[in-house]
Amino acid sequence: MELTGTHTLNASAETIWAMLMNPDTLAKVTPGISRLELESEGVYKAIAEVKIGPVAGKFEGKAEVANAVAPQSFTLRVVQNSKIGNVNADINMMLKPLSDSQTELSFDGKADMSGLLARTGNRVMSGVASTLTKQFFKNFEDELSTAG
Amino acid sequence: MSNKFIGKSVKRTEDKRFITGKGRYTDDINLPGMTHAYILRSPYAHARIKSIDTSAAAAMQGVVTIMTGDEVGHYGVPCGWQVNFKNGDTMKEPPHPLLVKDKVRHVGDAVVMVVAESREIAQDAAEAIIINYEVLPAVTDASKAVEAGAPLVHDDVPNNICFDWEIGNPKAEVDEAMASAAHITTLEFVNQRVSPNAMEPRSYIGHYDGVYDKYTLYTSTQNPHLIRLLMCAFVLGLPEHKVRVVGPDVGGGFGSKIYHYTEEALVTLAAKKTGRPVKWTETRSEAFLTDAHGRDHVTKAEMGFDGDGKIVGLRIKTFANLGAYLSTFSTAVPTYLHGTLLQGVYTTPKIHLEMTCVFTNTTAVDAYRGAGRPEATYLLERLLDLSALEMGVDPTELRLKNFIPAFDGITQPGYQTNVALQYDSGNYHGVLQRGLEMLGYEDFRKAQNEAAASGKLLGVGFSTYIEACGIAPSAVVGSLGARAGLYEVGQVRVQPTGKVSVFTGAHSHGQGHETTFAQVVADRLGIPMEDVDIIHGDSDTVAFGMGTYGSRSLAVGGSAIMKSLDKIIEKGAKIAAHKLECSPDDIEFADGKFTVKGTDKSLGFGDIALTAYVPHVYPANLEPGLDFSSFYDPTNFTYPFGCHIAVVEVDKETGATKVKRFIAVDDVGNVINPMIVDGQIHGGVAQGIGQALLEGVEFDGNGQIINGSYMDYAMPRADDLPMFELDRQVTPCPHNPLGVKGAGEAGCIGSTPAVVNAVIDALWSAGHQVKDIRMPLTPERVWSAMQ
Repeated sequence: MELTGTHTLNASAETIWAMLMNPDTLAKVTPGISRLELESEGVYKAIAEVKIGPVAGKFEGKAEVANAVAPQSFTLRVVQNSKIGNVNADINMMLKPLSDSQTELSFDGKADMSGLLARTGNRVMSGVASTLTKQFFKNFEDELSTAG
Repeated sequence: MSNKFIGKSVKRTEDKRFITGKGRYTDDINLPGMTHAYILRSPYAHARIKSIDTSAAAAMQGVVTIMTGDEVGHYGVPCGWQVNFKNGDTMKEPPHPLLVKDKVRHVGDAVVMVVAESREIAQDAAEAIIINYEVLPAVTDASKAVEAGAPLVHDDVPNNICFDWEIGNPKAEVDEAMASAAHITTLEFVNQRVSPNAMEPRSYIGHYDGVYDKYTLYTSTQNPHLIRLLMCAFVLGLPEHKVRVVGPDVGGGFGSKIYHYTEEALVTLAAKKTGRPVKWTETRSEAFLTDAHGRDHVTKAEMGFDGDGKIVGLRIKTFANLGAYLSTFSTAVPTYLHGTLLQGVYTTPKIHLEMTCVFTNTTAVDAYRGAGRPEATYLLERLLDLSALEMGVDPTELRLKNFIPAFDGITQPGYQTNVALQYDSGNYHGVLQRGLEMLGYEDFRKAQNEAAASGKLLGVGFSTYIEACGIAPSAVVGSLGARAGLYEVGQVRVQPTGKVSVFTGAHSHGQGHETTFAQVVADRLGIPMEDVDIIHGDSDTVAFGMGTYGSRSLAVGGSAIMKSLDKIIEKGAKIAAHKLECSPDDIEFADGKFTVKGTDKSLGFGDIALTAYVPHVYPANLEPGLDFSSFYDPTNFTYPFGCHIAVVEVDKETGATKVKRFIAVDDVGNVINPMIVDGQIHGGVAQGIGQALLEGVEFDGNGQIINGSYMDYAMPRADDLPMFELDRQVTPCPHNPLGVKGAGEAGCIGSTPAVVNAVIDALWSAGHQVKDIRMPLTPERVWSAMQ
């Protein structure tokens, strides 16, 4: 499953970078992620709960921040296991400053699924992914306005 | 033989229990102290198992036992047919273990079995098992799996090739014929993989009775005796007389319940180990992953014609996907059930098939309604209609020009094909002509032209198929590599009161044997149908049997019953002659009465039955009783055939196809129950149209099935289908006592190419000269073909 999204946020690249590197904020804005616990430098234990339509499950796994180039880009590697299947995702996050107070945040990547998650159909999962993307950016805006 | 029931649409006696929800399927059976199994399966298509930790699961309350490959991985299920490489080497036959311990080879491969007090506990415990996998690259396409560098499904099978194989005339002769052709039609296509989707999921109960040292396996199978033979002799090494296999009511098979599945042996082992009955019933999701799939051929076919439109040669190269493991019949399907049908109903003088059978990281592929013959029919009939379009001739005239002339197999000999078989009897012109009458062909072509002028796309597609049924003469299949004989057993036990119990080795899972067989027995003995009980599916009551598949039940199983009925009547005549004081030769039997010829002296069937069991006035040297068992081994396959015609309308804007009419004229030999035959044709046609337009198992690049549920796997529904227009022609089978050929697969074999041909025809009528659209013909694919 391909994952892509682009959104302009009203904050500087440095502000957004800091938020993304803060596990509590990242957990808050990422839909379904209820907790990120730091395990070692850049490696988190991730607890996620997702329920959209027929896809519902509690995922436990690992999220890793790699190739970090502050405040421009990093790769988010996610390995999640659950009773309804496993997810392996590699997502490249990119921050492009548009001005001092505006940044374009974009990502692209790929998620491989197995088990029931794969079988219940990419048709459903693509819809889920696009909903999650929208939620992610909306949560980010909410978080920015709260912080501001 | 009277004709009170034969040929009549007698209502199915078994339907009362089915339509009132009282059928007794395996999952309906609950034994005292029964436990429940859950099988933990691989989520990956190809991965090495690094470790398995069952400790947390084993500690959970309610868990009875946990089994892994370490305990049972040395047991494996066998393949029933051996096919050799062209060079004579034996096919590659890697083991198919009950539980995998080294590496998993398809999504759904079984790794751990948990047995617990309830299914829910077993499933919860399975979720607590930690398996550490090293994921490997997977290959799912047979034509890609043979390429250098492709992942190896079995480390010791080079290029994933199980075997290569050929049939027909020498390749050089076919090449020469093709070189002389005035026109060659080339078609490269995929006959896609489908999932069988029987209404009842597979279900098994293992039971071990320590007091009598006896095992019982209840199984949703199409052939209980074959399962017993395979499991005892080839898997577990159990003494056959200590194992009872029961196939109770079974809700559909379509081939997928022929095979000996690993779970049957697993529940049997677990029952012995735990001392308690063990039930396993699959979920629908598991059915998509583990019930053997059907079809999956990648083919390049060429048909050559001379200047007059006569076929001069047929040259084919096919890759058949066998999946990750060899299922019971899997090697026979693309070879002996496919290559041998490539003569079709045509006089093609030179034919050559080169077949490569390949392992991939996918669910095993085996027989699915038609098994090899739908693939052969699809290949031939697509080529015929496409050739007609390419050469600008009428597809029906092209067929009439190339048909094998009619022959009855009695006064005229059978037809010897170039691909090993000898057809028994046929009249191929007859079914096409009747189909054209029903269609109103000339009017249709006018309507098609008018529609094209007004921007509507109408198309007609033809399919004149033949199949080999009544499987099968043992000597023939033995020489072809079958590891079993394919005869059938029929026992007729006349009870002292004249009531009749019939034991058949055929197995009914939707076909209505309890009705059809009773019609035959009642007419042969001149007694009411309600005096006849048809008993099947239990290895302890039925002497032996090979089960039901390949449209064999009536042609082979019915013939075995007929042999026993003959013996009953012959013995009855001796008893009657003794009581009526005449020679047995002077006795004639009709309408349930033994009569002295030319007199009104007679005894009823019931009187003779009672005398046989109370033998006070009785011939010397004749045993009491009236009970005979017979084995019937056919001398040849039977060859049903027919003409299927589809009329479709294609929406130019969306590419959506609507089947407007479907005409089927089938010749299945003599018909015992027309309603049941119609029902079989209806179901088969629905499945065939399903493959053409809707169904298909799809994999992603990692070998995951991405449409493994009814949300995404499109089954045909009533509103996808028109009212079928059926008719029949009768060309009796010359070599079995009932003259029947078999009707179970016909609908599925004939229909698919007719529908695809109709869509191609519709597109050509609007100037889109496409050769092929990959099945299923979704609106998107048809629309794309028009752009």
